[in-house]
Amino acid sequence: MSDSGQQTDQPLVDLTRPSPPAAYLAEVWRRRDFAILVPVQDLRAQNMGSALGQLWHLLNPALMVAVYFLIFGVIIDTSRGVDNFLGFLIVGVVWFHLTQRVVQDAAVCIPRNLGLIRSVQFPRILLPAATVNGQTAAFAPALVLALAAVVATGERPSLRWLALIGVLAAQFVFHFGAALLVARIGAAVPDLRQLLPHVFRLLFYASGVIFSVDAFVTSESWRRAFALNPIYDVITCARWCLLGEPVDPWVVAGMLVWGVVLLVVGFAVFWRTDQRLGA
Amino acid sequence: MDPGRAVTVRVDDAHVYFRVYEDPAAGIKQLFSSGRTARRYQTIRAVRGVSLDLHESETLGLIGANGSGKSTLLAAMTGLLPLASGKILGRSRPSLLGVSAALRSALSGRRNILIGGLALGFTRAEVESRMDEIIDFAGLRAAIDRPLRTYSSGMRARLNFAIATARIPDILLIDEALSVGDQGFRARSAERIDEVRSAAGSVVLVSHNMAEIEESCDRVAWLDAGALRAVGEPGEVVASYLDSDAAR
Repeated sequence: MSDSGQQTDQPLVDLTRPSPPAAYLAEVWRRRDFAILVPVQDLRAQNMGSALGQLWHLLNPALMVAVYFLIFGVIIDTSRGVDNFLGFLIVGVVWFHLTQRVVQDAAVCIPRNLGLIRSVQFPRILLPAATVNGQTAAFAPALVLALAAVVATGERPSLRWLALIGVLAAQFVFHFGAALLVARIGAAVPDLRQLLPHVFRLLFYASGVIFSVDAFVTSESWRRAFALNPIYDVITCARWCLLGEPVDPWVVAGMLVWGVVLLVVGFAVFWRTDQRLGA
Repeated sequence: MDPGRAVTVRVDDAHVYFRVYEDPAAGIKQLFSSGRTARRYQTIRAVRGVSLDLHESETLGLIGANGSGKSTLLAAMTGLLPLASGKILGRSRPSLLGVSAALRSALSGRRNILIGGLALGFTRAEVESRMDEIIDFAGLRAAIDRPLRTYSSGMRARLNFAIATARIPDILLIDEALSVGDQGFRARSAERIDEVRSAAGSVVLVSHNMAEIEESCDRVAWLDAGALRAVGEPGEVVASYLDSDAAR
């Protein structure tokens, strides 16, 4: 057997030690295609067996909004204090649904991919990143639907709409941070997955999805308390952009601060345990 | 063995334990009597104090009964499994052959090559430039646009092997992958493994096929209940393994 001396002098390194954050992030960036293309393929696979196929990505949010409008716009009227209730409702429902899907999927992204984690070496942060990217891509048809519905109900595009890009960016940061944190907790405590639907049922009412907090909540300090809920903040900012609904500076601040804090905390927590996630 | 040959991976007194929760038929009485709600668990000692060096241009065979810790040791060598104690050192990170866990059965073979390649760290452009090579190596030209779930298990294994070896790694770990596929494919995959060795890399091969082990390995390690029972010449180790109770 031949002995090529080329690599003989390479030192041995401890393979169980985590790589430093900078090297870790560089590796994540190098492998970003994984977190972008794989979830898109999964979205395709989702509806491949159904008769209407990829149309479901548009039909699903449309039907969801239709049901909510039937209940809260027609049967129980919660439209007090809102001029364009259909537009108000559609923004609330599709935006809330996005956050719910991101967080609930992130909670299972580690256990669901355990086989992959145990057989292939890659920065595990790509899994929650893929979750966020996939759900954000799935949100695109819902966003188009919301824009169409808002225009159809009499709103006219204005410069304010451009601010929506900023809201989408801020919510992406918030989702990414939340996904990292939840993915880490969900990997350690699988019970989280059972708990989350109930948390979101509560958040649904605490986020003003189906009613205007300004119209229903009279106390100033209670209204301030709503600003502590990042989902309410994002929805309210999106409504300001598209519908001109009023927005409090605290709400904008809440959205930005939550995003940055969750991203920093989420990354720190996730990176530290990256190599132990296969256990 | 050539004692002067450089070490590529050093397993130093490695222990891997798994905590497995029991599934007891707990009654209400137990629930109240136990005071605290901690669930009972059992610690499985899958690998218990294994020390092993892997050298350049070497193929090491890993044999042992089911549940003796072969696959766990292999996974630990990648650094992917946390060790209870001990160390795994390497000059580069060994890669476990196989991307089957990344593949999606609803999608076509072609899309799965993309997904598998991305999971292994290729960029999209790198996968696309190797696409034809991978398809031909797997011998799946005719079936490549069919969903994976329509593939036979042999076809799946070929695709998996072709993706996983699209880039020849320095240190390759193989968990019973070679016995799949037809004669032509087996010859091609044996060639790939020789490529690793001729590039001064190392190969670890886990198999229950003793003929395959004796044929392709320079050295064989016998794992018994998580500990090394013997390491040495393939002929001798395989013979004593076959004579033992473990093989029966």
